[in-house]
Amino acid sequence: MTSIPSNVQQPNAAATGWAGMWDFVRERWDLVALVVLAVAPLVVPALGGALGGQVTTLFIYCILALGLNVMVGYTGLVHLGIASFFGIGAYLLAILTVPMYPFQIGFLAATIVSVLATAGIGLALGAPTLRLRGDYLAIVTLGFGEVVKVTLRNLEQITGGMKGLNPVPPPGAGVKIAGIDLGLEFAIDPRWFYYLSLLLLAGVVVAMRRLEQSRLGRAWVAVREDELAASAMGISATRVKLSAFAMSSAVAGLAGCLYAASLSTTADPNAYDFNRSIMVLCAVILGGLGSIPGTILGVAILVGFDTVLAPWADSWIQQMNINPSGSSLLSFSGWRLAVFGLALVLVMRYRPEGLVPSRRLAAELHEGHA
Amino acid sequence: MNASIPAVVCLLIGLLMAGCRPADPTLVTIVSSLPRTGSAKQQSDTIVRGIRMAFEEAEGRVGPYRVEYLDLDDSTAAAGQWTSEAEAANARRALQDPDVVAYIGTFNSGAAKVSMPILNLGDLLMVSPANTAVGLTKPGLGAPGEPDVYRPTGRLNYARVVPADDLQGPLSADWAKRRGVKTVCILDDNEVYGKGLADLFDERCREIGIEVLGHDSIDAKAQEFKSLMASIKAAKPDLVYFGGTTQSKGGQLAKDMASAGIGALLLVPDGCREQVFIDSAGAANLEGRCFVTFGGLPPEKLTGKGKTFVDRYRAKYHETPEAYAVYGYEAGCVVLEAIRKAGTKDRRAISDAALAIRDFDGALGHWGFDANGDTTMRTLTVSVVKNGRFEFEEILDVDAHAEVDGADEDPPGDAAANGAAPAEPAL
Amino acid sequence: MSVQFFLQQCLIGLTNGALVALVALGYTMVYGIIGLINFAHGDLIMLGACLALSLVTAFGLATAGPTATWLGIAMLVVACGLFCGTLNVCVDRIVYKPLRNAPKLAPLVSAIGVSFIFMNIGLFWLGPSDRSFPELLPSTNLLPGDGLQFTWKDLLVLVVVVPLMLGLSLLVRTTRLGRAMRAVSQDPTAAALVGVDVDRVIAATFFIGGALGGAASVIYGLYINTIGFQMGFQNGLYAFTAAVLGGIGSIPGAVVGGLVIGFVRSLSSAYVGERWTGAIVFAILIVILVFRPEGLLGRRTKEKV
Repeated sequence: MTSIPSNVQQPNAAATGWAGMWDFVRERWDLVALVVLAVAPLVVPALGGALGGQVTTLFIYCILALGLNVMVGYTGLVHLGIASFFGIGAYLLAILTVPMYPFQIGFLAATIVSVLATAGIGLALGAPTLRLRGDYLAIVTLGFGEVVKVTLRNLEQITGGMKGLNPVPPPGAGVKIAGIDLGLEFAIDPRWFYYLSLLLLAGVVVAMRRLEQSRLGRAWVAVREDELAASAMGISATRVKLSAFAMSSAVAGLAGCLYAASLSTTADPNAYDFNRSIMVLCAVILGGLGSIPGTILGVAILVGFDTVLAPWADSWIQQMNINPSGSSLLSFSGWRLAVFGLALVLVMRYRPEGLVPSRRLAAELHEGHA
Repeated sequence: MNASIPAVVCLLIGLLMAGCRPADPTLVTIVSSLPRTGSAKQQSDTIVRGIRMAFEEAEGRVGPYRVEYLDLDDSTAAAGQWTSEAEAANARRALQDPDVVAYIGTFNSGAAKVSMPILNLGDLLMVSPANTAVGLTKPGLGAPGEPDVYRPTGRLNYARVVPADDLQGPLSADWAKRRGVKTVCILDDNEVYGKGLADLFDERCREIGIEVLGHDSIDAKAQEFKSLMASIKAAKPDLVYFGGTTQSKGGQLAKDMASAGIGALLLVPDGCREQVFIDSAGAANLEGRCFVTFGGLPPEKLTGKGKTFVDRYRAKYHETPEAYAVYGYEAGCVVLEAIRKAGTKDRRAISDAALAIRDFDGALGHWGFDANGDTTMRTLTVSVVKNGRFEFEEILDVDAHAEVDGADEDPPGDAAANGAAPAEPAL
Repeated sequence: MSVQFFLQQCLIGLTNGALVALVALGYTMVYGIIGLINFAHGDLIMLGACLALSLVTAFGLATAGPTATWLGIAMLVVACGLFCGTLNVCVDRIVYKPLRNAPKLAPLVSAIGVSFIFMNIGLFWLGPSDRSFPELLPSTNLLPGDGLQFTWKDLLVLVVVVPLMLGLSLLVRTTRLGRAMRAVSQDPTAAALVGVDVDRVIAATFFIGGALGGAASVIYGLYINTIGFQMGFQNGLYAFTAAVLGGIGSIPGAVVGGLVIGFVRSLSSAYVGERWTGAIVFAILIVILVFRPEGLLGRRTKEKV
C-alpha cells in the first residue's frame, strides 16, 4: 500500500548494501515473502511432493485465520467455532461439485456460491446472538460448532456421514488448454494448488489491508474499543458486528472450499471440530490480534509445528536410530503436546500482546503501562 | 515493521529447503502410515512390530537391495487420532521419495480413502494390514462410484491382507441366528468401519429374520452411555451388536451395559479384538457373554509359519501379539515378495507383481489376492472372553454362510437347528 | 414402562448432572474472580484421576473389605483434592499471575497451553489408551424391583457432591474468605483498597476450585470406571457449557447448569437418539442464551460509558 520507504532511496549509498537490503526486507516483508514463495516451487523440488501439499495447507489455514482475525482481532468478538464455517464452506463446495449431486457447476462458480452462502449462515447465527456479551457469545459460537459437526455427521443422505463427500474434482476439471487437461494437472502436481492458494492468500491479505483502512474497518475497531462510545458517535454497533460476522464466515468458507478441493474430499466432520477452532484461535492470538503478519506467523508456527515439523522430527529420530526400542519417551510425538503447550505458555508470558502485535494495539498497551 | 517479520521469511525459506534427497540405487524404502499418536497407538505398535519382524527376518535385504523402513504417523497431536491432512501428507511424501517402493497402511478405512487416489497416481503399491471397509475394493458393494474413484489411473495398486466386512457383517448375523438370537439392538460408532459393518449386520439380520429392536450411533467422544443402556434395557434384546473399535469406546459400552444390569450377549467385531478392549471393559463385565468376530485365525490358533511368528514375537517382546500384529507381518512379507518378484525398483512393476500374487504361503496360511486386490482367505473366527482373555470358540467360513443362505427358504426356525458344528481349523 | 423409563432417565440425568456441576464449579469460581476461562480445568481433573488410579493400585483398594473401601474412598477424595488444589495454585502462580494486566485473551491461550502440557503428563502417566478404573463399589441395585436402577455408585455421586456444594455456598456466603472472594470478584482494586489481600484470595479460589475438581476426579473414576489422557477435553467442554448456561461466575448457576445438561443429555438420548445428543445439548444452550443472554441465574450487568 505504501510507497517504497525513503531510507532505501537515501543518497548515502555506502550505507546500503546488506544493511539496506535488510531494511528493505523489513519494510516490505510482504512483497519479499510473496516473491520467495512464488519462486520457491520452481527451485525447490520438494515442493512438487509432500512438502508442497503441507505448505498449501499452511496457506489455507492462513486464510482461515485471517477470517477469524476479523472477528477476534478487529471487532473483539471471541469466536470459538470458526472451524464450523470452514466445514460449511468445504461441504457446500463438495455438494456443488461432486458427481453424486446433479449440480457439478465447476470450482469457480461453486466457490462463489459457497462463500456467499457461508456468509449468509454467519449472518443467520449472528443476528439473534448479537446482544450476547463476551464469553456468552463465545460459548454460542462453540455450541454452533458442535451442532454443525453432529449434523454433518448424522445427515448421511446429504453429507455422506463419516465418509465425507468425495471425490471433489480439482479446479479446472475437464478444461483443456493447449491439449493439457487442467484438472489432471491439479490432481498430479501439488504446485498447482500451491499457486492457487498462494494467490488467494495474497488476495485476502490485500483485501484485509484495504478493509483495515476503510470506514468499516475503523468502525470494527471502534466497536471493539468501546461499544457505547461508538454508538454515541453514530456507528450502528449491530450492523458493524453483523458485517464482521459475515466477513469472517465468508473468508473461512473460502478457506474451506480450497481445503476440500485440495484434499479432493471434505474429510470427515471431525476435521471441523472444536480442536481446530481452538488451534486457529491460538494462532491468531499468538501472532498478535488484529495483525495480518502476526496471524500468518502464528499459523506458520502452530500449524507448521503439527503438520510439518513434528512428522519430520519423528522420522529424523527414526532414521538416526536413536530410539530402537520405540519408547514413547524418546520419540518426538510423545512430547508433541508438551512442546506445543509450553510454546503457547511461554509466548504469552513474554509477549502477551502476541509475536507481531498490531501497531494500534501495541501503542495502547504501552500507553497503559506508562 | 518488526524484527520478527524477517523471521517468517527465513522460516518459510527453511521449510522449503527441507527434505530433498537423490535416489539411492541400492536402497528400497518401505513406509507404513498408521496412527502412532493417540488412542490407537497400542494397536499400531503391534502392527509396526510385526512389520519390523518381517524385515528383520529378511535381514534387511531383498534381492540386491537394502531395505529401509520408515514408520510414519497419520495422526496428529492436536487431533489425537488420524487426520486426512496427515494421511495425505504421508502419501505425498512417500510418492515424492524416489526410494519408496511400497506403502503399508492404513489402519483406518477412512484414512485409506484419502491416500488411495494419491498413491494410485504414482502406481505405488499400498498394502493394508487392517482396512476392512468393503467399498475400498469391491465394485457394487460400497457407495456408488466406489472403488473406481480411488483409482484415477484405472490401474490397481491397493491390496489388503485382511478379509473385508462383506464377510464379517453377514457372517456375524448368521452366527447370532445359530445361537438362537431372536432380537437384537445394534450400535455403531458412526465411523466408516464401524457403521459400515453395523449396516451390513443390520441388513443380514432383517434378511434372516432376527428382529432389530433399534439401531443407533454413539459419539465416540462421549464418556458414558448410561442413558443409552437404560433404553436398551427397556427394549430387552437377546444380543447387543457394536460396530466399532476399542478406540471408539467399545470398552465403555460393555462396562455400562453390565452396570445397567443388561443380561444380553454382546457381539463385537475385530476392531475390538485386542487385550486393551478387555482391560478397558473390565474382564468381569465380559466374562462368557462377549463374543468377538475376527477375519482369519487368532494368534494362538496359527500353525506353521504363523506359529513361528507368534513364538518369535513372544520371545522378543514378552507378550502375546495382538490379533493384528500378524497382519502387519504378513503385509511386510507380501511387500518383500513383490519386490523380489519384480526384481526392479520400478513402482509399477512392484505393484503389478504384488497384485499378481495368487498363492502365497505366509503366516496366515495359503492365500492370494483376487482381481480386486482382496485376500482369498475367507476364514472368520469367533472368540469368547473367558478368564480375561480371548478364547477361540469356532470358525465361521463361507460355506457355513451358504448353508444359512440355503436355509433362508426354509422356515426360520430351521436355521438355528442347522447349527453348523464348529468346523475343524482349516490349516 | 413409560413412566418408569422416564424416571430412570431422570435419575441418570441427575447423577450425571451432579458430576458435571461439580466440575463446572471450578470453572465458574475462577471465572468469577479473574475473568479467565480456565481451559486446563478438565485436564487438571484428568491428572487427579491418574493419581487416584495410582493410589488405588498402590494400596490394593480393589481387594479391600467394605469398611476399608469407604474409608479409602474418603482418603482418595482428600488426597486428590489436595493434589489438584495445590497444582491449580501453582499453575496460577507460575502461568496466570504474570498475565493479570495482559490483554484479556492472553491468559486464555496460556490456559490452553497448560491443558496441552497436562495432557502430555497424563499420556506418560496412563499410556495412550483408556484405562479401566477398578470397580470399588458394587453395581447392586438399591431400589426394590428390577424397573428402576439406582446403585451404590449413583448414591456415591450424590453423597459426595451435595455436601460439597452446600459447604461451598456456605463458605462463600458466611465466612470472611467468602466475603473477600465476593469483594474481589466485584472489583479487585476496590477490594485491595479496603485491605483485602487480593493475591491470597485468588490463590484460595484456585485452590478450592482445584480441590473440587480433585474430588470430582475420584467420583468420575468410581462412577464412569474409565479414565484416559483425553478425558479432560469432553469433560471440560460440558462443564464449561454448564457454567455459562447457569450464568458464569454464579455458584448456584453452575449447579443449575450442570443439572440442566445432565437432564437434557439423558432425555435426548432416550427420546431422540444417542446420535443427536451432542447437537441437542448445544442447540438448547444457544436457544437459552438467545432468550436469557446472561445465563439462567447470571447477574444482569449494565454497561457504563
